[in-house]
Amino acid sequence: MPSRDGGRGTREGALPLPTRIARVIRRIIGAPDYGAYLEHCRLAGHPPHLDERAYLNEFFASKGKGVRCC
Amino acid sequence: MPRLFRALIWVALSLLGAAAFAILALSRGETVSAAWVIVAAICTYVVAYRFYARFIATRVFGLDARRATPAERLSNGRDFVPTNKWVLFGHHFAAIAGAGPLVGPVLAAQFGFLPGTLWLVIGVVLGGAVQDFTILCCSVRRNGKSLGQMAREEINPLAGSTAMLAVLFIMIILLAVLALIVVNALKASPWGLFTIACTIPIALLMGWWMKSWRPGRIGEASLVGAVLLIAALVGGGWVASHPIGTAFTQSGTALTWMMMGYGFAASVLPVWMLLAPRDYLSTFLKIATIVVLAVAIMVILPPLRMPALTAFATLGEGPVFAGKFFPFVFITIACGAISGFHALVSSGTTPKMLSRETDARLIGYGGMLMESFVGVMAMIAACTLEPGVYFAMNTTPAALAGAADVLRQAGFVVTPDQMQALAAQVGEQTLIARTGGAPSLAVGIAHIFSGVSSALGGRAATALWYHFAIMFEALFILTTIDAGTRVGRFMLQEIVGHVWPRFGETSWYPSIVASSAVVVAGWGYFLYQGVVDPLGGINSLWPLFGISNQLLAAVALCVGTTILIKMGRARYSWVTLAPLAWIVTITMTAGWQKVFSADPKLGFLSHAASLAASTDPRASRLIFNDHLNTFVALLFMSVVALLVVVSIREWWLVLSQRKPAAVSEAPYVESRYAV
Repeated sequence: MPSRDGGRGTREGALPLPTRIARVIRRIIGAPDYGAYLEHCRLAGHPPHLDERAYLNEFFASKGKGVRCC
Repeated sequence: MPRLFRALIWVALSLLGAAAFAILALSRGETVSAAWVIVAAICTYVVAYRFYARFIATRVFGLDARRATPAERLSNGRDFVPTNKWVLFGHHFAAIAGAGPLVGPVLAAQFGFLPGTLWLVIGVVLGGAVQDFTILCCSVRRNGKSLGQMAREEINPLAGSTAMLAVLFIMIILLAVLALIVVNALKASPWGLFTIACTIPIALLMGWWMKSWRPGRIGEASLVGAVLLIAALVGGGWVASHPIGTAFTQSGTALTWMMMGYGFAASVLPVWMLLAPRDYLSTFLKIATIVVLAVAIMVILPPLRMPALTAFATLGEGPVFAGKFFPFVFITIACGAISGFHALVSSGTTPKMLSRETDARLIGYGGMLMESFVGVMAMIAACTLEPGVYFAMNTTPAALAGAADVLRQAGFVVTPDQMQALAAQVGEQTLIARTGGAPSLAVGIAHIFSGVSSALGGRAATALWYHFAIMFEALFILTTIDAGTRVGRFMLQEIVGHVWPRFGETSWYPSIVASSAVVVAGWGYFLYQGVVDPLGGINSLWPLFGISNQLLAAVALCVGTTILIKMGRARYSWVTLAPLAWIVTITMTAGWQKVFSADPKLGFLSHAASLAASTDPRASRLIFNDHLNTFVALLFMSVVALLVVVSIREWWLVLSQRKPAAVSEAPYVESRYAV
């Protein structure tokens, strides 16, 4: 179940500014964000299926299948 | 704001843009400020975004903010994540902007600043941005499906296979041509090679840092990486003046083997080790440099030294690459105006992160406008160089001799002493015949940056800025080579996997090694051919790259048109049909001329025929290369023709009601974010 803010920042407004900036930069450069994944699981009402290392492994595996434009 | 006042603002903006275009188009001989290029571009972008993009969003696709997107419906906190539209704009832009929009305009500057600028600005609003936006809308309505999947489901399986084949073709040619740019930039450049070589251990350190030592600490690892990168850049200057610099002074062929070794290693090593950290470094650098370059150009507003049109636009005997401005300016500038490759991103990660359907206008259309602006800045950087310097840098000695009369008549002359002084200023041994576009772009950027640093009271530091620009270009070209070789490897494994299932297992190491070797050998062959080509390689490879990229754009526009017709929006299908018709026209014309032109500088077959009686020991290899290039160009043209015919058949069947107009959209679900 997604949060009502839909990633548009209303909920994230409650986070400290440095954390918000770090999260924005991570998303722009396509970096993993385990904290955001935990937040998603909490809001969705289910326990995390992945620990941090498994999350990173899965994230990097899927990143290796993405394209970078010319 | 009163309606009349708003209307007056839009009229004023339109008139300002038209006036800027008039000044650019009517200038003959007098110096034109880069400000007019920027004004013309920005006014066009703003008007197109406000009116045309809005028309596509509301009338053509009927985007609905209340309809839940895949990011919301399938949210899993990993790939499907609702994301703020500005954050996603940055992410999408970082994925679509590479070396193409920088290098293409630099090469097209041989026709003068006008043809390339017009294509960049007009092409993007009517073609490139429409393609990116359309494919994003289609993918969002189909749970984030890829271009190949949509082609298979909406047209037919043949179109899907064609799309997949097109991606593999473009990947091979793209990687070869991008690698050639890096090789030409680093050839006999110890400073440049040292800096770029250092990025490999820096990336490995970052990978180990964020995967094993401090898992997930991307910020720390990136900070360390950035500091080490600056140290490598400054240290490169010391290395170049030290005897150790000879170890970093390498020929083109030696660099070719190094590039192939690097591509192979990046494909077989785990992603976290090399690819991901380099990707983060290059993304930071890319966004920061583009922002600083835009600000610097707007602050100093350099004059354009290249004329609006050169004689090469109509003569077709340009020393940088052969061919008249039609169709070659439209092939040379692909990424800044329209790029089929973007359709892979618009149907890749971006649709899975879009939180509201209506945000697609900003991300898809707006993101491509931003990429076009990067191309405009590259055009400005190239055209601020003295034309004589530009042609001396981008031309091989043989081609320069052939164009000497035209250059002399146009007043584009430069002495060897001037070139040597410029080389010394930027810390290079020579700048003559540094083809590929990257070095001349780096000189242009270095002049702009050093102009700003001088104006601020600091040192000009031209050599440092030049090598910073080379590092900036090389770093994200290498990032594309990393990712492209890997994606090519996956595709090959999938294709062979149909006949030998074990080979299709992406984690089976013999398959990883074999498929990586085949992909690297594919682009490596074209790269080597370009490096040893007496005409500089760019002459034959860049048009092939342009044609292959536009081929993918044709695939994307066929998919978009088919979906519009099946949606019952056939009356709006001109939105995608018009750019499709243009793309097919230029691709076919350019392909035909590259193969069959009687001019040996342009046509592969006539070039091969001209070498038939040659006693040059390289002649047989050059003839073979010409025949191979002929085969590749004809293959691209056949694929485009096949795809268009298959699509037209599908449109005819649907429009004549012989086939039901069934679209495979995900069902409507009301968004929780709807207000």
